Amino acid sequence: MKKGGAAPLVTGVSPKEGPPGTRITIRGENLGCDIKDFIGLKICGVDCILSAEWKSPSKIIARSGPGKGKGDVIVITRTGGVGSCTVGFKGYFVQIGPLQDSAIWIDESQTVSIRHGRTQSPIFSKEDEDPLGISDEGNQAKFKEEELLEMFPDASGNMALQNFSPAWYLLENHHDTSFEDMKAGLAYMKRRATQRSEGPIAFVKSNLSSTLDCMESLDALHQQYCADDLRGDSVNQYAVLLMQAKSCADGLFKEVLGRKDKADSTRNALSVLQRFKFLFYLPLNIKRNIEKGDYNLVINDYVRARSLFAETQVQVFKKVYNEVERNIGEFREMLQQKLMELPNPLDEQKKLIRYLLSLECEGDPAWECLVNMQQWLTGILCTCKEDHIKEEQMSQTESEASMLKSPVSHMSIDTPKGKRRETNTSFKSTLSPDQSGWKFNTPQKILFIEELTDIMLENFPSFWKLGQAYFSGSLFVNVKENSERPQKTDSSKHSKFKQMVTDVISLFSNLVRAAFLPKSLENTPEENRKEFGIWRDNKQEIPGAWLPSGVRYVRNCVSSLSLLDLPGDCPTLIQDLALDMRTDCMVTLLKQAISDVKQLHLKETWAVETDDESGGTTQLPALFENIVNETIQHLHEVVVQNKVGEPEIFSQRTVQKDATVLCTQLLQAFAPCIHSLAFNPPFHSPEKSNSLPILTAEGKGTLGKDKVPVTDKRLIIMLSNCNHTMVRVIPRLVENLNKHGYVEMNKALRAAQDTYEDLDDSLFEAYVEEKSNPIVGAIEQNMYKGGFSWKTCGKPSGVRNYLKQVIMHMIEVHAEVFAVSPVFVTRVTQKVIEQVSEEFTRVIQCVTDHGKYGPVQARLELMALQETVSLYLTPHASKCFKEALGDLPEVKTEDRKLSEELLNKFKSQMKFQMMCFYGDSILRNSSEA
Amino acid sequence: MFSCWTRRQKANMSKAKATQPQVIHKVIMVGSGGVGKSALTLQFMYDEFVEDYEPTKADSYRKKVVLDGEEVQIDILDTAGQEDYAAIRDNYFRSGEGFLCVFSITEQESFQATADFREQILRVKNDDNIPFLLVGNKADLEEKRQVTVDEAQQRAQQWSVPYVETSAKTRANVDKVFYDLMREIRSRKMEATRQSNGKPKKKKEKRRKCTLL
Repeated sequence: MKKGGAAPLVTGVSPKEGPPGTRITIRGENLGCDIKDFIGLKICGVDCILSAEWKSPSKIIARSGPGKGKGDVIVITRTGGVGSCTVGFKGYFVQIGPLQDSAIWIDESQTVSIRHGRTQSPIFSKEDEDPLGISDEGNQAKFKEEELLEMFPDASGNMALQNFSPAWYLLENHHDTSFEDMKAGLAYMKRRATQRSEGPIAFVKSNLSSTLDCMESLDALHQQYCADDLRGDSVNQYAVLLMQAKSCADGLFKEVLGRKDKADSTRNALSVLQRFKFLFYLPLNIKRNIEKGDYNLVINDYVRARSLFAETQVQVFKKVYNEVERNIGEFREMLQQKLMELPNPLDEQKKLIRYLLSLECEGDPAWECLVNMQQWLTGILCTCKEDHIKEEQMSQTESEASMLKSPVSHMSIDTPKGKRRETNTSFKSTLSPDQSGWKFNTPQKILFIEELTDIMLENFPSFWKLGQAYFSGSLFVNVKENSERPQKTDSSKHSKFKQMVTDVISLFSNLVRAAFLPKSLENTPEENRKEFGIWRDNKQEIPGAWLPSGVRYVRNCVSSLSLLDLPGDCPTLIQDLALDMRTDCMVTLLKQAISDVKQLHLKETWAVETDDESGGTTQLPALFENIVNETIQHLHEVVVQNKVGEPEIFSQRTVQKDATVLCTQLLQAFAPCIHSLAFNPPFHSPEKSNSLPILTAEGKGTLGKDKVPVTDKRLIIMLSNCNHTMVRVIPRLVENLNKHGYVEMNKALRAAQDTYEDLDDSLFEAYVEEKSNPIVGAIEQNMYKGGFSWKTCGKPSGVRNYLKQVIMHMIEVHAEVFAVSPVFVTRVTQKVIEQVSEEFTRVIQCVTDHGKYGPVQARLELMALQETVSLYLTPHASKCFKEALGDLPEVKTEDRKLSEELLNKFKSQMKFQMMCFYGDSILRNSSEA
Repeated sequence: MFSCWTRRQKANMSKAKATQPQVIHKVIMVGSGGVGKSALTLQFMYDEFVEDYEPTKADSYRKKVVLDGEEVQIDILDTAGQEDYAAIRDNYFRSGEGFLCVFSITEQESFQATADFREQILRVKNDDNIPFLLVGNKADLEEKRQVTVDEAQQRAQQWSVPYVETSAKTRANVDKVFYDLMREIRSRKMEATRQSNGKPKKKKEKRRKCTLL
């Protein structure tokens, strides 16, 4: 069976009897497995569950109800049902007199009425009925009263009477008792007698009502007597006696009454203590609550105590209240200190200020807090600046030290380019790994701006909001009490606060300006500038890549500060700062990009990549485009893109102009690069070592030289690059710039295109000159090779070799151009052919004396040439040929036939060579189609 | 068949159990205040030792125990040791069939008081041979002992009752005193039945003689 399933069984009650309300300990088995299981308790049939307290499955404590007589104690549990018991409880009612001991509290006001309770109590208590303490059971056959009267005349069995006869009593009550019992009874009676012999008090106590009755009767008698006996002589005696009796009676009760008084006064004192417990505990509570951080409670308590006891005259209260005041004073100081501790969350500060106000602190804690906060804020801003300047100087001296150690890295630091620096330090990193490290770290100024803006963002809003709260009056807890104060402060302090805010903001902006825009501070006095920090005036210290992040910090800061609705010229101040930062950043970045682009020629690898769209180019145009695009992107993210509340960066005329000029310069910057590569390339380029960092100095020279091609090749490559840049890259970049909001880009486009067209022209001319000069120069010389003369030449046998050589040369040019960029083939070939045909015409026209076959030969060769290059003939070239043919004397029909035959022969002989031109044209035609 | 028989058997048995008049041995704890009467009782009844002292007025406990194979009920009346309740003691004593007179071995006065208790019991019960055990409690507090075993033994011999030292705390001899007393009571009862069967009116006659006095 389950343990909880068994029926409850009560096996013990303590005590087993008592008046209603007796506290009973009930013990037994299965009295419920827990407090919820225990659902019922009946004592003598009365439900006592309400007073019951479940202790354990074997113990319950309860108070008896108004059940009377002996009855069961029944426990009911959910699991075991209605239980049983082996023991019972006996309830009885007692009337307990005012002087009787009682184990329980008796409400005397109900039961004891002055008159009634007393008269009822008998002269002898119950136990006196059986003075011997021997039960009289078994003494059924009593002597008859007549018999006894016979035996004891003039006597009585009543102990209360004077003629009491013990023998009568014994015979009457104990005639059947043994002698031993009688002896025991005697002993019992003796013991009782000693117990009772405490003296008269015990007797009077037990017969109180009788005594009082006597007194009252005597008093009544006395009154009567006084009334009857006018002389009063006889009364005096009794009066004296009465007085004596009274004082005697009073004396008897003196102790009791004294005790009562004492009890009363103790009770009074206790109730006073109870009533003002709050005050007496207050010092302790205040301390405890302060420790706990429960300031609200402390203040409430204090306010309550103040209203109750501040004016008290009671010495004790005064003493305690003074202690409270002292505690509160300390508390106040603590709060003030806490308030001055910074940084502190805004809510915390507000709370503290409210506490202080509700504690009626002297002065104006909120204003003090504001002033303190402003000073603190100024302080940390300046400290931040000092720290970073110091840091920078330190790292600088360090770097100088490292420079002295290794001259190579010194050189590398001198070069302003970030990329270059990186390259070289990494190259030399084996020499000084420790010193090289710092250069890669975030620049000090950027760290500075980050920290500075952080400080502003973290602390300034709370400062401002606290100020707002202060002036709006929301800091005052009790408006009624302080109603005059905020108005007073409003008028005198509002402007002061405004000034404070402006001071902080301008300090902030000046600190930033000192670091990044020192020029904008030039018209402030020297000593003030020093205050804002003198940074090493070296713009190059911040690589362009870092500047945007600085700008981003400032802009973030500014935009969140703008949301604060600052007074006066603060918004303008910070907006100007942001705008200046942006402009500066843009100018710097664009300049950087320009210089980057200008350095591009150092990166040329001369590896030509060809694709259908743009022909053959090296990677330079792509690099150029990348740099520009990256710059645009960078600028767009941090500078150009507007945040809410910020002015359009290009809305200002000067900025716009600057931007346009810089963009134009940026677009044009690539041209000199190409130019220098084409005409005087840097032979010893460090990029060689960069691209092949594993090969060290020995391979550098040879490899670098080998890679740079000869002039004509360079020219054609650069020509291709230039063309590509002009036709594709620039328009794309301009479009991109336009998209990002840069204005007047058409101007820039035009300027750039002009530049690149000029460059293109010069490159083209140079190239064509380079190519056609050898061919053209060789024509005349080779024509008259082997003593050839137009006058004496024999019958032509075919096209002469010099012409074939010319054609071969042209094929060579064609191939070279084709290899780099098929697009240029027509253009170049046409130009070359033009020049060749010009030369031919000139040479033919110079012939003054034609022999018999001279014209035939000349005609044949002209025709052959014309036929070969027919696809590339420009009008100018055709005209030249025509002129040359026209200048020749008329040839005979058979000669014309001969020349045609020979031309056909030439065509078939030179089929492959000619196909170079045709094939290309076919190819080109098909690709164009 | 078998199951039927078993059921009847069972029914018979339970009926027999229920109907069988349960023998009740009435034990009364006496002794001065604070000697451990209640502690002994609660230890015996519920195997628990109560540390805190709360003066008893009059507690009643009853439970079934197996005495030498026979199921009986023990009824324990735990009385007040304090003098305040001395007056009501007589009434209680009358119902008792056996007495455990307890004193504390650490308190000489409580030992002295046992004489008064014995005197009162004998007076009320009017029987020199009433089942009675002298119990020296708190035997675990040997270092505080004030009553020697010898003097307690001596007094027990004088009264011709057994003397047992117990400890309500360690439960030493707790069961022993109750069971020993119950055995005494049982043997007294059996003797009484024999006597009443054999010479039923003897006592009354004796009493009648007394009246002659």
